[in-house]
Amino acid sequence: MKIIDVKGLEKSYGNLQVLKGLDFETNAGEIIGVIGMNGAGKSTFLEILMTIKDYDRGDVTIFGHNLKGISMDQLISLRKDISVVLQPTQFYKSLKVEELLRLFKAYYQSDIEIGQIIDDFQLEQHRKSFFEKLSGGWKQKVSLAIAFLSEPKLIILDEPTTGLDPHMRNVLWSYIVDYNQKKGGTVILTTHYMDEIELYCDKVMLIDNGVNKIFEKTEDILSLGYRSINDFYLSKV
Amino acid sequence: MLATQLKYDLIMFSRELFYLIFSIIVPPVTYIFMGQLFGEDTYAGGLSYVEMYTPSFIILITFSVVFFAFGFDQVMNRSTGVEKRIGISPVPQRTILLSGIIKSIIITSFGFVLIHAIGMVVYNLTFNPITFLVSYGFFILLNAVLLVISSAVYSLFRDLKSALIFSILIFQVVMFTGDFSLPVAQMPTFIQVIANINPMYHVNHLFIDVWNSQLIFNNDTWTSIGVIMLVFVAALIVIRWNRRKV
Ligand SMILES: Nc1ncnc2c1ncn2[C@@H]1O[C@H](COP(=O)(O)OP(=O)(O)O)[C@@H](O)[C@H]1O
Ligand SMILES: [Mg+2]
Repeated sequence: MKIIDVKGLEKSYGNLQVLKGLDFETNAGEIIGVIGMNGAGKSTFLEILMTIKDYDRGDVTIFGHNLKGISMDQLISLRKDISVVLQPTQFYKSLKVEELLRLFKAYYQSDIEIGQIIDDFQLEQHRKSFFEKLSGGWKQKVSLAIAFLSEPKLIILDEPTTGLDPHMRNVLWSYIVDYNQKKGGTVILTTHYMDEIELYCDKVMLIDNGVNKIFEKTEDILSLGYRSINDFYLSKV
Repeated sequence: MLATQLKYDLIMFSRELFYLIFSIIVPPVTYIFMGQLFGEDTYAGGLSYVEMYTPSFIILITFSVVFFAFGFDQVMNRSTGVEKRIGISPVPQRTILLSGIIKSIIITSFGFVLIHAIGMVVYNLTFNPITFLVSYGFFILLNAVLLVISSAVYSLFRDLKSALIFSILIFQVVMFTGDFSLPVAQMPTFIQVIANINPMYHVNHLFIDVWNSQLIFNNDTWTSIGVIMLVFVAALIVIRWNRRKV
């Protein structure tokens, strides 16, 4: 089942055209990695999918709703099914981890027990810490826990693992894969680590010069004879 | 959802030293301190210190809360990316705004009661239920006007540092030209000119009049209402114009 369909997407900031006719689609249950150089427009693209950024031309359809001309109420109900991790992630700095979980639980009107989330994500140690005081890895972990509070159909992550140590990267990926396998959720993320694409992603999209230069299954790329996705990436940009 | 947001908005306020100091600590302390110095003086209209400054310090608290804990706080959430993160969540914008407004009204009402109580304990202020209620009603109206002005002013800021400098600056201007501590009538002409275009000066004077049941519709009163309305309408236009941009 197709849950996202993007056709001819264009977006400019003033004179700078960042997206120049990008096509993209996702079926339910896929994990898709978006790659590209710094400034290629990955965050711009993801934020359009998150429904928080306007675009100039093209069609963006999410769960069957075209974002052009969508009503505020429809948008809010759409957002219930989408969770995100932003780059960088920020929350109210003077709330504690547990308080943030409770607040977002109210936003998403979720039935999940806070205790359950704290157990699942092993947050006990910092349950009463202020978000502001946490290390980068812990912030990402909390951010991911909040993203999973709502049992979303779609989760969009902007560089969730950048700057994390290998152990923490592993932990985050285990949550993402688990969610994908158990709940059948769809994942779209950006990363600069090509090993993550190779290990975990079903498909990969390379944004270059404002378009989807490559949008293929990861295994198909490897079967073309590249030793790794890293070699492939370096040969393309 | 609104109840949860409000609960955490109040918790966050109580943890923010900057807001606490300027809203619930500085005004009451100044109120007590100034009274020790000038408690015996008589002010314009034959008012005593308590009659003049009890309503003034209530307005000063209201100003701090509405401009810092409500207005400046919005810039803080915008500049740190919190606003964006909330924007992606399925919480209606109006819930967040409404919570901010109720938060301000709760805290300013607390200030109202606090100053009144200090006045009763320290300066023999008498409690008169009718004037108390009338004043409180008028106070809520002023609150609403100030919330709109504060929203408009801070919607113009994206960057935290400039918003902070601006906030400290207007606090100074309001302290010195709002008739909150130093009588404007005894100050140099240029201060008096600034005072006359400072809406807080007029808010303060209208409230002092209402508090003391002295409100008469003379020229001064109409000037005050005129200045406040002008700024209020300008604020509504700014809010409108900003909304269209998004
Ligand atoms: N709000 C903005 N205003 C102006 N330019 C922007 C804005 N956001 C991003 N850009 C520019 O658009 C380009 C793409 O940015 P971004 O989508 O963040 O790229 P990526 O995430 O791939 O690094 C960059 O050149 C960036 O400077
Ligand atoms: Mg980016």
